[in-house]
Amino acid sequence: MWHIAKRELYDNLNSLRFALATVLLLALMLTNAVVHLREHPVRMQKYRDAATESLNTLTSRTDLYDLAQKGPEKLYKKPSLLHFCADGGDSLLPAFTHAASHFRGGELKSFWRMTYPSATPNLKNIDPDATKIDWAFVIGYVLSLIALLFTFDAISGEREHGTLRLMLANPIPRHTVLIGKFLGAFISVNIPFVIAVLMNLLVISTSSAVHLDASEWGRLGIIIGIAMLYLSLFLVLGLLVSARVRQSAVSLVVLLLIWVSFVVFMPNTLASIASRFSPARSYDAFQEDRRQTRRAILEVYYPQLDETDDPSKRMVISGEYVTEDATQDGRVREAFLSERISQVSQARTITRISPVAIAQHLLEVFAGTGLARHLQFVENVQLYAREYHEFIADTERSDPESPHIIGVRDGMSKKKVSPESIPIFEDTLSLSKDFNAAAMDLLLLTLFVIVLLAGAYLAFVRVEV
Amino acid sequence: MLKTLIGRELLDNLMTFRFAAVLLITLLLVVANTVVLIQDYEQRLESYNDAVKMHDTQLRKAKTYSMMYLFVDRAPNPLSIFNVGLDKRLGNLMGIWHGFVPTLWDAQMHGTDNPFIAFFSSIDIVFVFEVILSLMGLIFAYDAIAGERERGTLHLVLAQPIGRGQILLAKYISAMACLLVPLVLSLLFALLLLTRSIPLSTADFLRIAGIVFTSFAYLSLFYLIGLLISVATRRTGTALMLAMFVWGFLILVYPNLIRATVNPGGNIQAGMKTAQNQIQQILNEHEQECQKFLENEIIAAETSEFSKAFGLYNDTYLDPVTLTSYIENVNFISAIPSKFEKDVPLAKRYYDFVERLTIRTIEKTWRIRKQALENIFVRQATMDRILLRLSPVGIYDAATQAWAGTDLSGLRIFFEAARQYRRVIIDYFYAKDAFASREWFVADKGAVDWSTLPQFTFERRDVGTNAKRALPDLFLLLIGNLVLFMGIVLIFIKSEV
Repeated sequence: MWHIAKRELYDNLNSLRFALATVLLLALMLTNAVVHLREHPVRMQKYRDAATESLNTLTSRTDLYDLAQKGPEKLYKKPSLLHFCADGGDSLLPAFTHAASHFRGGELKSFWRMTYPSATPNLKNIDPDATKIDWAFVIGYVLSLIALLFTFDAISGEREHGTLRLMLANPIPRHTVLIGKFLGAFISVNIPFVIAVLMNLLVISTSSAVHLDASEWGRLGIIIGIAMLYLSLFLVLGLLVSARVRQSAVSLVVLLLIWVSFVVFMPNTLASIASRFSPARSYDAFQEDRRQTRRAILEVYYPQLDETDDPSKRMVISGEYVTEDATQDGRVREAFLSERISQVSQARTITRISPVAIAQHLLEVFAGTGLARHLQFVENVQLYAREYHEFIADTERSDPESPHIIGVRDGMSKKKVSPESIPIFEDTLSLSKDFNAAAMDLLLLTLFVIVLLAGAYLAFVRVEV
Repeated sequence: MLKTLIGRELLDNLMTFRFAAVLLITLLLVVANTVVLIQDYEQRLESYNDAVKMHDTQLRKAKTYSMMYLFVDRAPNPLSIFNVGLDKRLGNLMGIWHGFVPTLWDAQMHGTDNPFIAFFSSIDIVFVFEVILSLMGLIFAYDAIAGERERGTLHLVLAQPIGRGQILLAKYISAMACLLVPLVLSLLFALLLLTRSIPLSTADFLRIAGIVFTSFAYLSLFYLIGLLISVATRRTGTALMLAMFVWGFLILVYPNLIRATVNPGGNIQAGMKTAQNQIQQILNEHEQECQKFLENEIIAAETSEFSKAFGLYNDTYLDPVTLTSYIENVNFISAIPSKFEKDVPLAKRYYDFVERLTIRTIEKTWRIRKQALENIFVRQATMDRILLRLSPVGIYDAATQAWAGTDLSGLRIFFEAARQYRRVIIDYFYAKDAFASREWFVADKGAVDWSTLPQFTFERRDVGTNAKRALPDLFLLLIGNLVLFMGIVLIFIKSEV
């Protein structure tokens, strides 16, 4: 088996395709590194500036009512250090959430609720379309194509030259031949790929602008593992078709057409079909919903306010009104966000028929970019919002002199709040959560590989020489 | 003799597996995508119609001139099915009022669109062709000469009394005849589906004809690239590898690589900053002048009460990224307190002065902004497009976008029209003397009648304009074809068999 693998490897190393693949992969990976080094510091700086400014505004408030009314300001999504692995359409996703409070006339000021901007900076973008040159692109598109170009003639070529007969005349079982072929191709595609990856990481890690720590290196390891699995899938596919088809030229045509349909077209076509199944409410309908919710709450509390002249009772009702208004409006906003996101998630689930979509999704998850990351950010924000509410309630409770009516200025503690006690938003990424999000995709990808491997084995065993 | 050759080649090509496979996959992809695209277009059209209706009712709700909610909507272009270009991406909703000059950088999205869907890039018919036609051309060409040379049949052919140029011509004609079958068939299917659900005008058919012709030129270019590789190499294996990598580079890598490496220059930030400062200064001067008017005409002590009674409000806005600037002067008031009834003439004079000043100020900021937008965004985008043209895909894309009218200049016409419409509205206000009327700021003596307000109309440019924009790129493709063919003939004539 090793003998076959070695022979295959030497054959490949001397070939034109090996040289071209090396040049192509190196050029792409180096571009990726250079672009990342150019863009990443800018992105980080922007994030830090914005986050610091928002934090300063928050900690400058010492009045509990102010803190309770205005909320935790803007919360920013921390850019991933592994942005070069997968861009994940991050520029299309909102980078922050905003605790907004709407001022109304009179003494009643509405409380903050979390708002989720739907960033579409692309609306202003007049540049031509382009896919970002990230690892996801290099692996998903270029590496898969290279894998097919390395294996399309692995068996059919030998049959054409007549060497397959010679090889099978030796006392080696066929599955050994197949695995030998696979290993040979696997190693020979991996040589340029690994060199390119190492060059890329060398450039990135030697720069002072980007500092990768242990957890990032762990993620990079996982990403490279996924790349290898994905590569195997296409190598096995190449072997399968190559075993079934008599001529290498035909084998290549078949493979290219499969590649074009599955890799280039399927993800986007399927996504646009699938995104139509459960459309989110329109923005106008959502606004209408908000208006109605607000009106319903007003209708409950305004008559109550009119009924009584007792200032302390009025205060209690006002407090309840303000809190209810913020909670309900926040709920409507959250529901709208999850509707929109579930529409996209559903579309993405259906694209999983295409292996490239699986690989891209996995890479995004482990690089900490894209939709999965955004969902985690939203979750973090919601956790923090809860913590913030608790902080307000706790501080309020700890002051015995206060009337404990959250929602109105006179009903709340007048004690100064120390800036250290205010909870601070931390946008964290957890690897175990990422594994959860990725488990299905990993299994699916492995399943694809196994099925194709079995297919290739069957095809090759039954082949006539 | 040429006829015999063509006949032989044609049979050779038609009876292959690759022909059947390519035909099948092209048909499948084009038809499947056309169905999706038509649905998508219909959805966008519906969204547009809803938006138009909603904005119409919204407008009628406004009681005073100053509270006018006037929006214009951009209809989707039916030819975006062929090449979507910027048609889907740029904003399709534009607010119109006198204190603001609309550009494509200020447009919004209709309420029914989910911005997260922008995640998926849209596939149009031209994209299918970009990928498939180029692949087809190369697959049919790589062994045209190298294969015959390997099999030894080239010797036999050349032994006949035919020129080498004629052999090449025969190969070219027959292969193109074969390749046109999937292209034409799939287009016919697409058109069949299209005309069933979307009404197209004669002009649209002419535009589609332009797209089809450009597709021929693109296909032929890739066939010739394949032929060149085939003539220049000895073995089909080498030819195939070269062809595949050339394809991968031209289609997959280059367009993305070039966009990644081109670095927007550092002077952009500086230019932006100067323009921003200039505009800010103009806006500040505007505020000062408003203030001066108030101070001169109204006794200082009463100013705040006066402004509260008449809804005086001052908001100047400048966006640092896109230099969007606007001025708003009025707040909504439901009625005027009887105590201030005597001051109504003064308020009228104030608004007449301020709104006219606003129009002048905004025109001034627009001159600066226009220049800055050209220098910063448009120039960058144009530069990118020029660099993209180094790959045939870039040329093909640009040409088909120009035909479809979904390119940048095609879309800017709409925003041009929106700016025109703003002028029309201002003229209408002048004619009605709206700025100096009571209905400008309050509706307690009757609401504004909007029925005479001029309607917004927008027509796409005629085919001639499309053709004029597409022709340079089309010529570029044709010249590429010619040059390649001549190169192939030269190499083939000089090559040993």
